[in-house]
Amino acid sequence: MSFEPKILGIACNWCTYTGADLAGTTRLHYPQNLRVVRVMCSSRINPSFIFRAFQLGADGVLVGGCHPGDCHYNTGNLYARRRLAVTKKILEFAGLEPERFRVEWISASEGNKFAQVVTEFTAQIKELGPQQKLKIDELLEKI
Amino acid sequence: MTDFKQIENNLKKEAKKLLESAEVPVVLAYTRGYDEKHPMPFAAKSVADVEKIVFNEYCNFNMARYIMRFPDAAKIAIAAKAADSRALVVLIQEEKVRREDLVILGIPASGMKDPKTDQLIDSRTTGGLYNPVEYDILLGEEIRGQKTVSPYAVLADYEAMDKEARWAFWKGQLDKCIRCYACRKACPMCYCDPCFIDQNKPRWADKAPQSPGNMMYHLTRFHHLAGRCIDCGECSRACPVGIPLYLFHKKVAKECEEMFGQAAGMKLEDKPVLVDFRVEDSDQILK
Amino acid sequence: MLKKISIKKINDLAAALMEKGTLLAPVKEAAGHNFAEIKDPQQLDLDYYNTIVSPKTVFLPQKEDFVRYETAKPVAEAQPVALNIKATFLFGVRPCDAKSFQIMDIHFHASGIIDPYWQQRRDATVIFGSAFDLDIPAQDADFYQTLGIGAADPEGSDVFMVKKGEDLLMKAITPQGEEILARLAMLGEGKPADKKYFEEYIKKGSQHQTRNMCLDPQVIAKKLEDIFHSGEFWQAQSAACLSCGICTFVCPTCYCFDICDDTLFSRGVRRRVWDACMFTDFTLEASGHNPRTHVYQRLRQKVCHKYSFHVRKYGVISCVGCGRCTRYCPVNIDIYSIIQDAMKA
Repeated sequence: MSFEPKILGIACNWCTYTGADLAGTTRLHYPQNLRVVRVMCSSRINPSFIFRAFQLGADGVLVGGCHPGDCHYNTGNLYARRRLAVTKKILEFAGLEPERFRVEWISASEGNKFAQVVTEFTAQIKELGPQQKLKIDELLEKI
Repeated sequence: MTDFKQIENNLKKEAKKLLESAEVPVVLAYTRGYDEKHPMPFAAKSVADVEKIVFNEYCNFNMARYIMRFPDAAKIAIAAKAADSRALVVLIQEEKVRREDLVILGIPASGMKDPKTDQLIDSRTTGGLYNPVEYDILLGEEIRGQKTVSPYAVLADYEAMDKEARWAFWKGQLDKCIRCYACRKACPMCYCDPCFIDQNKPRWADKAPQSPGNMMYHLTRFHHLAGRCIDCGECSRACPVGIPLYLFHKKVAKECEEMFGQAAGMKLEDKPVLVDFRVEDSDQILK
Repeated sequence: MLKKISIKKINDLAAALMEKGTLLAPVKEAAGHNFAEIKDPQQLDLDYYNTIVSPKTVFLPQKEDFVRYETAKPVAEAQPVALNIKATFLFGVRPCDAKSFQIMDIHFHASGIIDPYWQQRRDATVIFGSAFDLDIPAQDADFYQTLGIGAADPEGSDVFMVKKGEDLLMKAITPQGEEILARLAMLGEGKPADKKYFEEYIKKGSQHQTRNMCLDPQVIAKKLEDIFHSGEFWQAQSAACLSCGICTFVCPTCYCFDICDDTLFSRGVRRRVWDACMFTDFTLEASGHNPRTHVYQRLRQKVCHKYSFHVRKYGVISCVGCGRCTRYCPVNIDIYSIIQDAMKA
């Protein structure tokens, strides 16, 4: 059986989540590996969410927010951009795989982009194989 | 350079003046511990306490750690070396203390030593500055002409490692952690109450000192100190099992400086980089 | 029974002990030595002063799993974690630490409530005590002499070891010690000269200088009771305290723990983890009330527990003067100085 990664998607309510809805209603095809959690804003994302997701068995984490300048709360994604950039650097220096963590700006009208990003990211994670460095051992035993 | 004894005398003189004026009820400085080599942080509260003040090459504690212990004091005087003053600047930026409530007694010092190893504390383990960046009274001559080495130079070896080697290194180091939390307690920037790791809802990690919890604690702590860590090295000196936490903090500080063009705690009018943004920040930083 | 072995052949001894059970001894790590299982006889190293964390870890590990369960299943189906007790040799324990086991026994055994985890491990373990090197002055932080413990005090050990030039003298102190020494064929018999050397070394050990003051348990217990409410005294003593857990975690006589449930999805473990009275949430109650919110209250608790409450309840001071808390304190708080100041207060 080929490796089917588990990917956590964290999407902002106003843009990316709506974009995902659009992808759905326009019947676009994209891989089913993504499990989406909706948050009100990309700046609501605590970096610990990402570390914890990897610990609990995610093979990849995709964060989606509004395009800079389009944030429903004006500046939320501008804070998030800085914060998540640091998260990426931390993953990198710890010797984890920063490629497993991706941030994309997807607006409510970009259903196509959503499907395309998910397809691309899933293929990339498949290439990388299962994420094992942070995954908690007890979970590894079970699988 | 003014020698340590002279700084001690100046510190005593200023402390005495301040306590006598009754304007300042607390002077944060150092006192003798169980021997010369082991001084302790000290809060002088009366003129009689002033005689107990010492200063020598082992007074490496970051006194900014204690600034929030005196909620009732109208004003606090604090002996601050370079790193301490940077920590104070961050605390002022974060509105934990007001500049006008502080009397900063700046100490220019080089040649500080770690009592555990007797090694010189310099840019290898800290920011490597000699002069306080913010002070009211300077207790010695400003240090000039010292060789300046980038505090990030020490990172080169680790950056050159491949990913797997770096993971093996950090996993090995962080697995040693016994979760005594001395790092966060010694850190002047770690003032959260409760700390995320002590929270029950949500519970971020196990209480037991094992790999996943240790990873969660340290990775998140590195993140929480991003753009705020002033590289005093206290976390690593406090660590009983010798985890080189300063390396990771340095790396994060370096990345923040490169991405956002600002080092932590250098100017009062700055904002810590992660509570700030620029519209023109590049999306490239996320790649 | 006095036996001896050449220090050059110490690795043979290690190999023999490893054959008979688990060998635990100080192993060099980045920051210093710590007790760990010896996997390779060459690892055995006699060149250490004392370990960072005390050997209490052997009997009271920092993390001990009791029971594994699944939240969806009935309680009766929870699986207790087997203890897997094996014969263990705890090699190279310093006299102060050997003494600490006797104090810890009070809580885990002698007070009438027997902790099976502690007791089974304790019963399966032979303690090889090792004298401090009397040619090296004691470290500044140590004060075991104050607590009446000699630098070469065999009390608490099953076998006690003393270096004599190129040889290691090993004397059985208890019947368990006799038994294990009799089973180690590579050991030579101690000569009368060795015996004399051993006895004299122990005598000399009690004169080995550490920080020392005259300390009567009842007097200090009373004194601490008298100044318990002196906020000024305790605030001054704790001015530097960071309230981290180093002192309690490295201490050989601190035994506080927390029972916690670590669950992951539907599976969980109930385990015991060390806790420290210096942590803010140590006394946090479910209501949200915390009786010890200030640093001084927590430091006072630690000092008074060891030197006052413990004396009142069990008659002995719960401290062996190993100096670890002082040595590893990031801000050099020294329990000896606190006791000294308390006596003067």
